[in-house]
Amino acid sequence: MLLYIHVPFCRSKCRYCAFVSRPLDMAEVEVYAAALPLEIRHFGKKLGRPKVETVYFGGGTPSLLPPWALSRLMPEINKHFDLHPAVEWTFEANPDSALDVEYLKILASYGVNRISLGVQSFSDAALTRLGRPHNAKTAMAAVNAVRQAGFVNLSLDFIWGLPNQREGAWLEDLKMAVRLRPEHLSCYGLTLEPGTPLAADAEAGGLELPTESEQGRMYIHGAEFLEEQGYLQYEISSFARMGFQSRHNSGYWEGRDYLGLGPGAVSTLSGVRHENPRDVREWAALAKTGRCGAGGVALTREERVREYVMLSLRTAKGLRLSIYRRLTGIDFLKENESLLTALRQKELIRLNNGHLRLTKNGFLVSNLILERLRY
Amino acid sequence: MDTSRIRNFSIIAHIDHGKSTLADRILEITGLINPRDMREQYLDRMDLERERGITIKAQTVRIPYKAADGKDYILNLIDTPGHVDFSYEVSRSLAACEGALLVVDATQGVEAQTLANVFLALDNDLEIIPVLNKIDLPSADPEAVKKEIEEAIGLPCGDAVSVSAKTGINVAAVLEQIIVKIPPPAGKAEAPLRALIVDSWYDSYQGVVVLFRVMEGTITHGQRIRMMYNNAEFEVIRLGAFSPGPKDFPSFGPGEAGFFCANIKTLTEARVGDTVTNAVNPATEPLPGFKEVKPMVFCGLYPVDAAEYEILKSALEKLRLNDAAFTYEPETSQALGFGFRCGFLGLLHMEIIQERLEREFGANLIATAPSVIYKVETLSGAIIPVDNPSKLPKTQEIAALYEPFARLEIHTPNEYVGGVFKLCEEKRGIQKDVRYLTATRVVITYELPFAEIVYDFFDRLKSSTRGYASLDYEIMDYRASDLVKLDILINGDPVDALAVIVHRENSYKFGRALALKLKRVIPRQLFEVIIQAAIGTKVIARERNSPIGKNVIAKCYGGDITRKRKLLEKQKEGKKRMKRMGNVELPQEAFLAALKATED
Repeated sequence: MLLYIHVPFCRSKCRYCAFVSRPLDMAEVEVYAAALPLEIRHFGKKLGRPKVETVYFGGGTPSLLPPWALSRLMPEINKHFDLHPAVEWTFEANPDSALDVEYLKILASYGVNRISLGVQSFSDAALTRLGRPHNAKTAMAAVNAVRQAGFVNLSLDFIWGLPNQREGAWLEDLKMAVRLRPEHLSCYGLTLEPGTPLAADAEAGGLELPTESEQGRMYIHGAEFLEEQGYLQYEISSFARMGFQSRHNSGYWEGRDYLGLGPGAVSTLSGVRHENPRDVREWAALAKTGRCGAGGVALTREERVREYVMLSLRTAKGLRLSIYRRLTGIDFLKENESLLTALRQKELIRLNNGHLRLTKNGFLVSNLILERLRY
Repeated sequence: MDTSRIRNFSIIAHIDHGKSTLADRILEITGLINPRDMREQYLDRMDLERERGITIKAQTVRIPYKAADGKDYILNLIDTPGHVDFSYEVSRSLAACEGALLVVDATQGVEAQTLANVFLALDNDLEIIPVLNKIDLPSADPEAVKKEIEEAIGLPCGDAVSVSAKTGINVAAVLEQIIVKIPPPAGKAEAPLRALIVDSWYDSYQGVVVLFRVMEGTITHGQRIRMMYNNAEFEVIRLGAFSPGPKDFPSFGPGEAGFFCANIKTLTEARVGDTVTNAVNPATEPLPGFKEVKPMVFCGLYPVDAAEYEILKSALEKLRLNDAAFTYEPETSQALGFGFRCGFLGLLHMEIIQERLEREFGANLIATAPSVIYKVETLSGAIIPVDNPSKLPKTQEIAALYEPFARLEIHTPNEYVGGVFKLCEEKRGIQKDVRYLTATRVVITYELPFAEIVYDFFDRLKSSTRGYASLDYEIMDYRASDLVKLDILINGDPVDALAVIVHRENSYKFGRALALKLKRVIPRQLFEVIIQAAIGTKVIARERNSPIGKNVIAKCYGGDITRKRKLLEKQKEGKKRMKRMGNVELPQEAFLAALKATED
């Protein structure tokens, strides 16, 4: 099982982020730190101290949790879950809140062994436009701090396709990133989420986004560069040095069970999906009364198949045709014969070893391919 | 019943000039309908009609009325369909009346179709009572409109009634004029039965319901009757009148109107305009004016999903039961698969049927651009009708091509005359007449190819006259034309459903416009789309939509999966309305692009 813990606090809101968050409010952190142990305990008991292979603290900004809060939460995890001896335990951090080596050492002392830093860009102008509270210098300092605290598994997040960004600038970002020798990189194409200030700017015509073809080049050339540097692309947006693929994230794409705790967290256990209330107090009230986790919805077989196709095609491994056949009784290749032929001709897909895989160019238009495939 | 106490009338009006509202008020004032039970446009049975404000099927309603002279009368309101596509049906409804109310919007003036129907009424020797409606509106100018009616129709308007059908002002005066001015019906009760079929429709419980007006003789419950067009005989098993709901009557004499059921299975056995007579001792001559209506406009209708073919087929069968003017037969398109070639009286008729199919039968449709019937003279001298451009024989087999011409009458305020001329010239029109009804209102008559009307004529006329013009047309004859088939190729393959027949002179311009229009309506997609227009083997236009370069969900972790899956499901659902051709997906609009090719 994968364990995900959601930390809903941010110091300030980024202009591209659609997540509902409010400025950090210590009273709310108090409520959170009191309720989360109850939820951990509840599920630990309910699931009979289940085996957990990976833990992931995501947000929001988990690194905003003060040490006193951590001291209440972290020991509960070990107590109520059976953590694998080689557990992958990730903690997301923003550069500006990960400068304190002592703080990072505290994390390590609880068992955290992987840090994911939201660097996003090395261009200060770009960071300002995104509303990020840090600059490039801070990001470098954070990387140093993480290493100094003894972490050997570090991931950096970047965004490409930013306003005013050209292909050259993006490749420059990647070069600098690679010089820092992180074990893992996530490179996300900028998504204009409806309702965000950035999307509003775009609608008002105030954004100079790279053209579609330039964005395509950023993606392909960026991925090629990273592979030359020893980072293998194992998913649409994920690159890792050998052996450092995120086991937690890969678990989602492989369709494994995951338990999500904290406000707004989603769980999928034995085909039943459940989502916690997003509001911190509403969620905390449920955790206190032990009514958390009620009201899940069982996925239909069709939904599970659709998710399997959608998620497996995100990965470099691709969709295993024999699994599809076992799930549906249908031959995926026959069902999509003429489309697959055309996609192969355009080198958008590859077929080998019983797997259907998207190529880099295929990843870039994966939504269109998923829309067209019959499954 | 005493014919001197019967008045049969219909209401002639342009769409939106208030016909249905006036009918509503009459039903209310005579007490036939309790105001509590009133709903707007009471006589229009079908949802579609109420929504679009058009009466498609005729209706008759029997209204008892105590007049100012203290006597009891029966008024039969014989309502008519109100659109140019249905002028034959209108003429039959009018033939069943002795008089008509001419309702004109006092804020608008006379429109082309109104005028056409008034002339139909005059042909049938009807007494016409002018009624000026909407006088409650501040912009109403009844005096000017009266003058216009006098000048345009030559109808004295001294006694014209000014009303507001909406508020009910003066509607009572209209009823009195009906009694005083419209003559009672003539016709002998003892003569052999001759009843005019005004309309008929199919009812799943009673079979065909026939609306009729007795011209002579008597029709009785249980009587054996004969349809004079095909000599089929039936027994009247139900006889009645709508008043406003159906009420049974034992018999009807001359001048009366009502409905009967006689175990009739199909509408073709009870055609509008046919004469009903006795089976025993029948009349020798049918009533004049019968015509077999023929569809003039054709289009292909295809299910978007081939699996829905049977649903579409049974939906068409059901529609045909209720609409003798509509025809369909199976057809196969390389591009669209199995479907039907459907024939309609005109464009409105076509739109109504398409809408009804989608709405009542839930069939997801692709409709191809409408076509008229061309006549092809082959080298061997045979004449072949062609209702589908893709079926046109090869150029080397054609000796001559003929297309239907229509006589078109356009009413417009004088400031738009220039625009109307320009449009008609562009549409290959031949000017026949320009007549000033008043100093500011003009009637323009053109002869032009019917195909040009079927294309975007209505919309173009509307935009070049800011909606102030109205038009009426009738098909005249076939004339030789220098026509060519324009093929459309998508990624190199001709798409039969996109082929059009155009005049050679316009073909290059049209081909370029159509290719450009297709480029705009076919969305960019996963694969490149190349659109070519060709005449014979010669490509005359080429457009290209490059493939989409980026469409990817950047992040998809545990909390995102449901949302992303639903997004994808929604997108896939949206694609179901697209027709896939090879690797290209074509939206419904692509098949109608020919209609809008020259609009901008």
